[in-house]
Amino acid sequence: MSASAAPSSQNRQSVYRCGPVRLVIDFDESEFADCLNPLLSQYDAPWDTAANTIHVLVQHSDCPADFSEVSGSYLTLQRLRVDLIDQRLVAIGPLGSRMDFDLNLGRARILVPTCSDRAGQIEEVEQQFVLLLARAWAQSGWTPLHAGSLVPPGQHRCILLCAPSGSGKTTLTSALLRRGWKTLGDDKTLLRMQNGTTCARALAHRFHLHPEAARWFPEARNLSDWPRYSRWTDKRVVQIEAIWPGRLLVESIPGGLVQVERSSEEFPLTVVPLNTTETFNVLLRQIVVPGEASHARPLVNCAAQTASRLRGARVRVGHNAFLRPQFAEELEKALLSLLA
Amino acid sequence: MQAESVGRWLLRPDAVSTVLEDGAVILDLRTKFFFSVNISGWAIVQMFEAGATRSEVLAASANWGAGNDDHPAINAFIDQLLAEQLLEPASGTAAARSDVAVTAWTPPLLSKHKEPLQRIMVSAFDPGLPLAE
Repeated sequence: MSASAAPSSQNRQSVYRCGPVRLVIDFDESEFADCLNPLLSQYDAPWDTAANTIHVLVQHSDCPADFSEVSGSYLTLQRLRVDLIDQRLVAIGPLGSRMDFDLNLGRARILVPTCSDRAGQIEEVEQQFVLLLARAWAQSGWTPLHAGSLVPPGQHRCILLCAPSGSGKTTLTSALLRRGWKTLGDDKTLLRMQNGTTCARALAHRFHLHPEAARWFPEARNLSDWPRYSRWTDKRVVQIEAIWPGRLLVESIPGGLVQVERSSEEFPLTVVPLNTTETFNVLLRQIVVPGEASHARPLVNCAAQTASRLRGARVRVGHNAFLRPQFAEELEKALLSLLA
Repeated sequence: MQAESVGRWLLRPDAVSTVLEDGAVILDLRTKFFFSVNISGWAIVQMFEAGATRSEVLAASANWGAGNDDHPAINAFIDQLLAEQLLEPASGTAAARSDVAVTAWTPPLLSKHKEPLQRIMVSAFDPGLPLAE
């Protein structure tokens, strides 16, 4: 964890540096501070520019919020419905937590009722924070992108890796880190247009690796010893520096995009070029676009301007591809061709 | 749609457009579908961003190089925008945009992408549903 991301607790107040946003959180239950620490301390990539500060108050409430009070017109998430009301984001979860985030004042209040499903409730509150951060990053001019990245040795441009969770972004990234490639991270990136170029910045330098990856990467043995990412997956939160030192970057310029697909076929690697519209399509599907046009427009513009500068390809990775000795070399060639 | 020929239409405010490649894309935030338009189509959409009538679009298209034989394609393009509910009636009678230019006229095209963006997302950072591991 970088010094800027280190939480400091004092009278149940915690401060986190999450990329270009600084969170100052007051808890009225210290248990919540402990439970949310793994989520909020994951944004550990160093960030030296000035931060936009958001103040958050997390309080216990006597009764759950009424889930039907919001329609989800701004966003509908698996665990939250979100509306935009008078420049306030109002988010309510089915377990009754409620966030009011005043976008003008940069202040949020999260009310958490008593609930028998404590684990579910913590996850609901985590999603409230992810929502708050995603909007705060966008307000700071950054587009949150659910994508990994790879930078070839000796180059400064990166290839964005786009795919839903569980498609193999992290495994593919790991396969090239061990060959000297570098990365901004495995699934959390911020994009911003600067002087006609897209800049990509790292947010989190921890990977979410499945213990199965140790079969392919012997140096990543003992993956099961790392902490579990969530109760829904067997993936582990891994400090990548401990396995492949010197591979982490904080900033890069995207030059290529790969849509990663897993295949049950034995043929290890298939590469299909994408045109600009297809590349945009892939990129936009890795960005959460809210229902409010004034919030959606900068994100869509960033995706379009970025896509127009990328060479894209769909890369299908076959079953057990990582066990084949030639696979990494073929993959490397395919990715390098996107930056040629 | 002929009854609408004298009406003034506006691109719906929750339809977000952006320039891409040889034209633009329009994302309908209500349905989550998005559409590609070519350069001529983008010029017409820009007119509707400010508000325009069908006859104003036909007149502007003539200035951009369209001939009378292009009228069916232009009308079909506007009909498609209406059918997809990307346009709504405009109030007021503001003058149509006159600063839109088309360097090489081709009949306007609107193509709807098959798959809409996700309506229910995993989180505010991760739009996709995770695959089974």
